[in-house]
Amino acid sequence: MRDVLAVRGLNKRFGGIVVARNIDLTLHAGRVVGLIGPNGAGKTSLFNLISGVVKPDSGTVVLDGAPLDPLKFHQRIHRGLSRTWQHVRLFPSLPVLDNLLIATRDYPGERIVNVLFGRRRLKEHDEAAREKATDILGRMGLANVAHSLVTDLPYGQQKLVGVARALMGEATCLLLDEPMAGVEGASYAAMQRVVREVADRGVAVCVVEHNVAFVRDLCDEGIFMFSGAIMARGSVAELIRDPHLTELYFGH
Amino acid sequence: MLEATIILQILWTSLATASYYVLFAVAFALVLKVTRLFNFAQAAIMTIAFYTAFVAVQWLAWPAWAAFAAMLATTLAASYALERIGFEALRKRGVSVMFVFVFTFMVSEFVDYLAMLIFGTWPQTIFPTMFWPVTLVGNIAISAWDLPAMGATVGALALLFAFMRFSRVGQFMTGVADNPDLAELYGISKRRIFLVTMLIAGAFSALGMFLYGTRAQVLPQTGLSLMLFAVAATIIGGIGNVAGAAIAAVILGVIQNASILVISSEWQGFLLYVFLFLAIIFFPNGLRLPQRRRFVTAAREALVEQDAPAAEGKA
Amino acid sequence: MEYLDGLIVIVGLYVILAASFNLIIGYGGLVSIAHPVFFALGAYASAILARDLALPVPLAMLGGTAVALAASIALALPSLRVSGDYLLIASIGFQLGLLEVIKNLRFTGGSSGFINIPPFLIRDFGRASYVALVLAATAGVVFLVRWIARSDYGRAMSAMRDDELAFASIGRNAMWMKIAIFALGSGLAGLAGALYAHYFRFVTPEQFELLQSAAILTMVVVGGMRTTWGPVVGALLLEALPQALAFLNLPPSVLGPIQGLLFTGLVLVFMFFRPQGLVPAQDVWRGARAAKESR
Repeated sequence: MRDVLAVRGLNKRFGGIVVARNIDLTLHAGRVVGLIGPNGAGKTSLFNLISGVVKPDSGTVVLDGAPLDPLKFHQRIHRGLSRTWQHVRLFPSLPVLDNLLIATRDYPGERIVNVLFGRRRLKEHDEAAREKATDILGRMGLANVAHSLVTDLPYGQQKLVGVARALMGEATCLLLDEPMAGVEGASYAAMQRVVREVADRGVAVCVVEHNVAFVRDLCDEGIFMFSGAIMARGSVAELIRDPHLTELYFGH
Repeated sequence: MLEATIILQILWTSLATASYYVLFAVAFALVLKVTRLFNFAQAAIMTIAFYTAFVAVQWLAWPAWAAFAAMLATTLAASYALERIGFEALRKRGVSVMFVFVFTFMVSEFVDYLAMLIFGTWPQTIFPTMFWPVTLVGNIAISAWDLPAMGATVGALALLFAFMRFSRVGQFMTGVADNPDLAELYGISKRRIFLVTMLIAGAFSALGMFLYGTRAQVLPQTGLSLMLFAVAATIIGGIGNVAGAAIAAVILGVIQNASILVISSEWQGFLLYVFLFLAIIFFPNGLRLPQRRRFVTAAREALVEQDAPAAEGKA
Repeated sequence: MEYLDGLIVIVGLYVILAASFNLIIGYGGLVSIAHPVFFALGAYASAILARDLALPVPLAMLGGTAVALAASIALALPSLRVSGDYLLIASIGFQLGLLEVIKNLRFTGGSSGFINIPPFLIRDFGRASYVALVLAATAGVVFLVRWIARSDYGRAMSAMRDDELAFASIGRNAMWMKIAIFALGSGLAGLAGALYAHYFRFVTPEQFELLQSAAILTMVVVGGMRTTWGPVVGALLLEALPQALAFLNLPPSVLGPIQGLLFTGLVLVFMFFRPQGLVPAQDVWRGARAAKESR
């Protein structure tokens, strides 16, 4: 089982609050890790630290053997990290399909020279990207909304699009921030299926979730965070049964 | 060539003239700190201030104190209008930074052109003459303008400091500066605090222009150049750091004055732009003074608040 | 006829300025007031290269454009490293500061201006040929901006404006895109400057000041940001207005401020009552619609 993401000794404090306390964490290829804990435990902060949105006070993050520390946020994504947002953050001026098309690992349309002098390259890339995007949307049951504006979609479908967008870059490590929050019904089932499929293809997945059923059904292991520190690790079933952890979770 | 006398003279004069720079810088920095707005319309306020005093003294023959009072009246009125009619409306609409900038800039330009139309483009001063009696202390020439100017500035700064430290409203201003949404939760009226901030900044701008206009010539576009000085000082001093802005204003003022020793006078004005540019390249977060928080982008704030309690400071 | 030709040239050049500024501020979402200074750099550089360094005019024009382009990168790179707001402040300093420099230097002719700029085309082919050149350049720039806005690049710009953090989260580099947009827009302003210099054969610093900054901004805001024709409408309108004012026979000391009041007043009025401008832009990126329509 390959180590995809290795986090060692990550520390961060904002003023008086410690959001990350000596975090050690490893994500393996093909495994889904559930990150659970009460609000304010530091789960999203951890995602921010790993992805480079926030700079840690100390500690290292290594992806596929290469350290991510000197890299900026967008550069880490380029290396094969991918993340979603708690509040989705899709691009409202673009239809669903276009939200995905700009999310490929390389996007030649990012350089103005390609637009002016590399029409053929753009066209080739566009065709490949469209194929991939359509495939992903299809697998999520979103094929019929490909040309809709994201603002016209119900929240659950928007979250699915967010995950779809995160999959376009063929990341080796995927961080999902509360993918199930506010999602129910068909979208819920689709999300579960998608996350499992992604992991089965060898991606290391970490999910922050409050939805216990989702975590229990989907995650291969769980990590319980509280007050910036990792309190416990183990199978999700064990963590859920632990009365001490339950108290910490609901005591808040 | 560089006798001690000359150096001391330059030092003294720059410190004296730094008085108005400090006032403009503090006004700009305070508004930025509390309302998080780059108030480029401050130039408009400054222009209004000057021409009010000018009209009072030179057209209406009022005594100096009356002119100053009139100046304060129009400045505070203008600041009130700017905040309540301008900024509040823009905030309600949730407009972008660009929108606010274009607005403040256009307001300053509008007032400039109005002044040009009414008063023409030749230089003016508040009193008919810029000349003040000079006393020699040792070999240093001390103008009768210097001490009152410095005194007024120090007095204004002391008042502001006391206000911010000891009065409820002043403390609320600091609270709103650190975390506006939390302050609202505690029942502090953001609206009122923003208004108070703008009024204080207006008063400082007025005092600054009174000092400047009694010592140097003013054109309709002078407000803008003086304000750029304030912007440079604010950036170097650290965004969110009013004391830093004041100190930076003094240092920049001294450098600009002292530069007469090495460059010719027509290039002195250009030095300001060099400061501005250097400030941005080398001091984007300001010189670090102890326990100063830095200006953070809205994106980061939102992210941090998802997990860490809202009460805490930011990265 | 000469007067009309001059007017057409000026209007054409201001359309180029408005369209290129629309690229920067409308599509790029970058706030800057420094457009006239790149217009100036293009004009002065081309003039100096042609007159004092005896370069053939077409080469000098290219040189002028290149100087404007390089200067814009020098401005944008350090500023955007920090944030977009800093570009704004830096642009103010750059615009005002560089003009100060031009006013004080000998080889630019100082405040009195630069004279005897070598002509181009007019002696051999008549005034109409130059007018045609300018109109061709104008059309070229308008359609270039339109093309870029509807391309894959435009798609990326739209997303970047929507949510820069999310943009980074899909691996896109916003900073380099902004620098490229700023450079292209400013380079086009430089081209306009070069075209200006060799037609009127005389440039002074006053032609590139804050008034022009306000005018260009007004053209884009009032005309309509992020549209192809908005800047064109804006430029036509704002160049027509001074002509209308000229008929009132006001003294120049009054005419200047009145023009300024008109421009800034217009922007303020539009900002409050019709922020979308005369030609409203869609909220959705146009390229997607175009692609959909052609399906």
